[in-house]
Amino acid sequence: MSEQGQVIAGPVKQRGFSIDAWAVLLAFVLAALVRAGVFKHIPW
Amino acid sequence: MASSIAISQVRPVNPALRFLKIVPGVLLLAAVGYAGKLLEANVGKYAKAHHWTFPNIEYVLWAILLGLVISNTVGVPEIFRAGVATYEFWLKAGIVLLGARFLLGDVLKLGGTSLALVGIEITLAIAFMTFLGRLFGLKPKLTSLLAVGSAVCGVSAIIATQGAIEADEEDSSFAIAAILALGALSLFTFPLIGHALHLTDHAYGVWSGLAVDNTAEAAAAGALYSDAAGKLAVLTKTTRNALIGFVVLAYAFYWASRGQAQAVGNKAKFLWQKFPKFVLGFLIISTLATATFFSKEQIGALANLSRWAFLLTFAGVGLRTNFKALSKQGLKPFAVGAIGEVVIAGFTLGLVLAAQRIFGW
Repeated sequence: MSEQGQVIAGPVKQRGFSIDAWAVLLAFVLAALVRAGVFKHIPW
Repeated sequence: MASSIAISQVRPVNPALRFLKIVPGVLLLAAVGYAGKLLEANVGKYAKAHHWTFPNIEYVLWAILLGLVISNTVGVPEIFRAGVATYEFWLKAGIVLLGARFLLGDVLKLGGTSLALVGIEITLAIAFMTFLGRLFGLKPKLTSLLAVGSAVCGVSAIIATQGAIEADEEDSSFAIAAILALGALSLFTFPLIGHALHLTDHAYGVWSGLAVDNTAEAAAAGALYSDAAGKLAVLTKTTRNALIGFVVLAYAFYWASRGQAQAVGNKAKFLWQKFPKFVLGFLIISTLATATFFSKEQIGALANLSRWAFLLTFAGVGLRTNFKALSKQGLKPFAVGAIGEVVIAGFTLGLVLAAQRIFGW
């Protein structure tokens, strides 16, 4: 961190969605795409 | 101090520009994470082909180690920093997707047991950290931040509490540094202790979720032991995260009653604001999986998406940890954090061993 300053924080008022909400939205979109058969197989 | 942990501010910038700014760092997370996977697959093979004795190192540890090496040698160049800082975003998306691997009944059963253990852990952690902070003569609000960080969920809890009790940013930085440094240490010590005590995946996963404070490190510490332990570590840690609002609210009341913070108006609104929304996302996906909304193959695909998201997180854990910077954060908060964490880890281990006997984990 430090010189790199990487603790994300800040009691700053955020406009729009929070990071939590964006993460949930992305996960739901991905789940919907998998359900719709757009992504049939995800390799690991 | 100000130079040691910079707390980034969210500035109103063009969304397209903000997106472009994170691309290089996200690519770095993906490259480091994927390199970890490649190393896991190939180092063992290479060692075997050359008749060397080499431990099987999982991709989780490779990704963290690669990140640590980059961060502590050449450093993370400015262009990558915004993207590297998204590791928490990937963690939360990964947790929501992980819901597909849990049937709702299991979540309620495991979550219920975890909730009881989490309640005991939170009470003990707050009481003990408060005692230690007073013993070491730390500033009262710094003590509150350390107590919340070690009791609930690391960095997020500290940030939420900082705003609620109007603590200094410097205190917040001290507390965050102590929690992160100890979280980094837990990645290397917890799996060793778990193996030495022959803990089952279940017991170890619950222990990691109870004792490791930051969610990313808790997930990594669990995954370093086994896939099953990683799942349980995330579930237990998510139970802890769900309680963040109540603990922060209690602290807000305490400091407001002393005239050192603003009184909380609408309590329900306050709790909702502090409640981690990804916990709801996790429960919704788990409910859908239980209702067979997804086929078996689709659940497999969602589980793999979750693994990829965690891979980016683990790379980020290494890349954002700079030991030189952490060492500059002051000895006293670190000492309080370290003593507190060791005691809490020991106590929660005892709890888990007792639960293992009672529930036959």
